[in-house]
Amino acid sequence: MSATYQLALQQLTDSALPTGAFAHSLGFESYIERGLVGDEVTFGTWLSAFVGQQLVYSDGLALRFLYEGVDVGLLDSVLTGQLLAREVREASLKMGGRLLEIGGEVFPSGELEVYRGLVREGGAMGHQPLAFGVIARSLKVPFDEALSAYMFATVTSLTQNAVRAIPLGQNAGQRVLRHAHDAVAAAVLDVTQLCWDDFGAVSPGLEISQMRHERQRARMFMS
Amino acid sequence: MNTTTQVDFGSDVVGNLGPGSTLALGEGPVRGRLELGVSVRGGRSVASRQFHEGALRVLRPHYLDGSGQVCYVMVNPGGAYLGADLFLIDVEVENNAALLLTTQSATKVYRTPGSFAEQRMNIQLGEGSRLELVPDQLIAYREASYRQNSRIRLHPSSSLVMAEVVTPGWSPDGASFKYEEVRLRNEIWIEDGSGAKLLALDNLLILPPVNDVTGMGFMEGFSHLGSLVVVDPRVNQGLADELAHVARDFDAYTGVSLTMTIAGTCGLVLRSLSNSTEELNTLLGACTGVLRERWYGQAPLNLRKY
Repeated sequence: MSATYQLALQQLTDSALPTGAFAHSLGFESYIERGLVGDEVTFGTWLSAFVGQQLVYSDGLALRFLYEGVDVGLLDSVLTGQLLAREVREASLKMGGRLLEIGGEVFPSGELEVYRGLVREGGAMGHQPLAFGVIARSLKVPFDEALSAYMFATVTSLTQNAVRAIPLGQNAGQRVLRHAHDAVAAAVLDVTQLCWDDFGAVSPGLEISQMRHERQRARMFMS
Repeated sequence: MNTTTQVDFGSDVVGNLGPGSTLALGEGPVRGRLELGVSVRGGRSVASRQFHEGALRVLRPHYLDGSGQVCYVMVNPGGAYLGADLFLIDVEVENNAALLLTTQSATKVYRTPGSFAEQRMNIQLGEGSRLELVPDQLIAYREASYRQNSRIRLHPSSSLVMAEVVTPGWSPDGASFKYEEVRLRNEIWIEDGSGAKLLALDNLLILPPVNDVTGMGFMEGFSHLGSLVVVDPRVNQGLADELAHVARDFDAYTGVSLTMTIAGTCGLVLRSLSNSTEELNTLLGACTGVLRERWYGQAPLNLRKY
């Protein structure tokens, strides 16, 4: 069971990895403000929509195309163009930047240096799923494992944030995570079946909520 | 999940994203083709190039005010889009010219069994030029599939305002979202001496049979979607906040955000969910009215009077 990349992947997807994920709701804080997310069930509903839409059509497809050999600079520019809610675009860049930095310290590789170089020289901006993908690929993590680990890591940090923000009990948080296994498994399957034209397709509701967060008065999160 | 066959990935990337590439033709017959070039003659904008064939044409141009902006109305004499229909539209607004492009009536997509209707639009805006693209709403009926692909190339000094409304159509049992697929994909590129950069990929995909599109995280219980995209060097955070404020007076759930700034120009995207075409049209009209007044001293658009 213990492939050579196993511990590296665990470190990379640990919620203690200091990328700043604790500071982002990626839009669910707007639903809290509207009173639509306020408990375990309603947060779970939001989380399923987020996994099935945003994580599939944006992050998941970016990761897949990267693994299929599409140029990282091209994918980076398309991600920048498709993340139309400013705070979510900035979140991807902020966490991506940290991941590139951490990766350079602990998982250095030629591929990672190429992407970091592009970002340094202004040829790319440095998005989270691509930084993760470049590192995971350099560690020889198979695509399916990399994708589900990435998605579940995102789900985990969002759920931890919901536990603090709503708030939810710790056990409720764990139940949400257990329920999210199915959504992540379905999302991984969806990612393999889509095509280039699907890349960046958004759900209007998630996107509008992410945009509205910019003007929300009382807030705990940066996105 | 997707009805298209898997395309050759490598070439598809280039085909869709390379601003210099041409769009390949689909399976279906070209049902209508329209080409329009607009340039400035004697202080006002006129068509310098015009071609149409099949089920697409434009009406005689109007001038709605003294600004010199020419208004063309696109007409689909067939009245609707059907399965496998392909419509090609090519618009060039040359340096300093101004075009208002609209439609005579709603774009209706009827049943497209086993197939889809498609519109491909290629738009190029020259230096200091201006395009307002304000089609009537899209209505996708039961068992309709529709794909709209637009590739828009702007000079950093040009100005684009694009407003669109998508309605859920109608079915005999009165339920919404009986269509198969609506896909509206806009690529917006900024081109200057140093090459082309992607400013925005605005990709909307609604697949009612696959996802529950009605609820939280998708249509949020609403039936209609409105979208406004503005690209202009004068777009800034203040304008985004102002349009968000304008939107608060409407019975609609609206968000506004800015794209990156590229070569000194920036994009603004407003998205709104509501339960009526009229509400969204009024909201989008109020927002474009702010821009028309401030940037050109023009009155708000009132196309219904012509």
